[in-house]
Amino acid sequence: MKEPTLFDYRDVVGPGIIEELTILASYLAGRSIKMVSSTKVGGGVAEILHRIVPLLNELGIETTWDVIKRDEAFFTITKRFHNALQGYKDHFNKALLDAYMAYNEKNNAELDFDEDLIVIHDPQPLALINWHQKRNNKWVWRCHIDLSHPHSHLWRFLKPFVEKYDAAIFSSPLFSPELTIPQYRFHPTIDPLADKNKELDAAYIDSVLMHYGIPRDKPIVTQISRYDPWKDPVGVIQAFKMARKYVDCRLLLVGDKATDDPETESMLKLVRAEARDDPDIHILLFNPSKATEINAFQRASNIVMQKSLREGFALTVSEALWKRRPMIGSAAGGIPAQIIDGYTGLLVHSTEGAGLGIRWLINQPDFAQQLGENGHQRVKANFLITKHLKRYLLLLLSLDNQRKHTIFLS
Amino acid sequence: MADVFQFLSSASLEKLTGRKAENLDGLLDLIKTCPDTSIFYHTFSAYMKMREIRLPYNNDFTYWISSSLNEKALAEKIMAIDLSEYNTLTSLRMRLIEIIEEYRRRESRTFRKRADDPFYLYDIIRVVYLTDKFAYDLQSFREVLATISIYSIYLHFIECRLEKDLHIDDFSTWIEHSLHLPDLARKIKKIDLTAYTMEGLRTRIIQLIDEHARQR
Repeated sequence: MKEPTLFDYRDVVGPGIIEELTILASYLAGRSIKMVSSTKVGGGVAEILHRIVPLLNELGIETTWDVIKRDEAFFTITKRFHNALQGYKDHFNKALLDAYMAYNEKNNAELDFDEDLIVIHDPQPLALINWHQKRNNKWVWRCHIDLSHPHSHLWRFLKPFVEKYDAAIFSSPLFSPELTIPQYRFHPTIDPLADKNKELDAAYIDSVLMHYGIPRDKPIVTQISRYDPWKDPVGVIQAFKMARKYVDCRLLLVGDKATDDPETESMLKLVRAEARDDPDIHILLFNPSKATEINAFQRASNIVMQKSLREGFALTVSEALWKRRPMIGSAAGGIPAQIIDGYTGLLVHSTEGAGLGIRWLINQPDFAQQLGENGHQRVKANFLITKHLKRYLLLLLSLDNQRKHTIFLS
Repeated sequence: MADVFQFLSSASLEKLTGRKAENLDGLLDLIKTCPDTSIFYHTFSAYMKMREIRLPYNNDFTYWISSSLNEKALAEKIMAIDLSEYNTLTSLRMRLIEIIEEYRRRESRTFRKRADDPFYLYDIIRVVYLTDKFAYDLQSFREVLATISIYSIYLHFIECRLEKDLHIDDFSTWIEHSLHLPDLARKIKKIDLTAYTMEGLRTRIIQLIDEHARQR
């Protein structure tokens, strides 16, 4: 399928937004960006870069995307880094840290960094800056993970590299540590024209639900998330059961099919035990690549839930709000940035609260519809890929004028 | 012949400052010591954010005081500040401090109350730029207004009050002084900012222009 162009977004966000992107980009003619990440496949970072890079090029900002080379050993090291930086306990000896540096040094030798702006994504290639302390271009570290409670020993090792950058970018103030360099906030965003979010016709939605044996005889409450304790699928079932004493509805749980992960299997056992073969509870194991079908499940839902106990940014919330779905989300991680309680969804703090939310929204469809509409507007204003593009353009402009608070372009 | 009105627009990049408040004392300290651009971000810039949809809050301070501290009365007092009356950041900052300190004199216990969630202080970098949209008369003004981005409307109708130290907006100024239509300018000037979303504001100004055209 042909990738959408900027022109295709005009109908979604309005011509004014695209025109503004074009105007801002006109002040940056001839500038270049290089993105560096650890993978081109899988995960939110790769997903967004696959769209951002061609769109920046279309705007006249020559943008390339390089992926560092890694093997299984490096993957294991950086996976441990990733977990420890988000608060897991671990131990990192000198040999392991030296290996991390050796992989970065090897990648540095194989890559060029001639562009005006180098954006390094996440901790894996973070140390590349070590070989570019004297430079003529700007380097920015884009951190997609929660660094609010990092493993202290590991952070003492990595922080000096971070502070060699010209700036850092975080998704939320909740996730950022204290640093001596400027920090910017870039909310993660969704692509409204991606398979996961594009408009679908009603017949297709019906066919997907029929295919998976989900009747549409009563309101559908859905959570789409990994079978992971932090996503609290068991709590979702408990909330659903509390609500069903008062309102008739179905529950649809759709989760990643990461079956090689032993934690997923044990979580699934708990989920199935809690569901107890209830015919109104549908538990699907799903391959995330089936994005259009996930889109159909969201669009068929009367209520979408994200009852996480701990969360990153949770773009599944913006995905559902974009589809004008009434949303119940827990007040965790980036969810409150997307849900303004009572206006763009319901924010809850307990299983009981989630149960009440289901009852409330099913009994008040007009209110639920208004929440969905407001949520759509909020996503349109803040959490679409066009906003992301604008931030990159503004970043380039602001790095040129780092001491100015207001930049007048003429 | 009327002066040409060139539409400008603005955009901002949010900077994280690493500073936060856990209670009202902390918020007061932030307001007293933060840069002007942070006051701007949490009031003027937030005004647009709060107007994507119909929210009762008109800035970040009131939203936090109401939702995380549950101090509705203080939130209402701050919400009632008319941004057009405090058209310098210094005067706006002083007014915020005055309201919070007055509240402390009457409700000192609330200053020890810990908020559900911290208030994170932001700073911003603003970029103001020219668009390629011009108005030569009321008809061309209406045509551009119908399609220009809300960021441009925000700049000319709200943010400009701060930039130019005037109590009036760019639109009504141009309509009054260049198009010589004082009645229409007066009606636009009187629009209650708190009552509309940004899209609603666009619709309301267009409505006033259409009514004016019908009456002529």
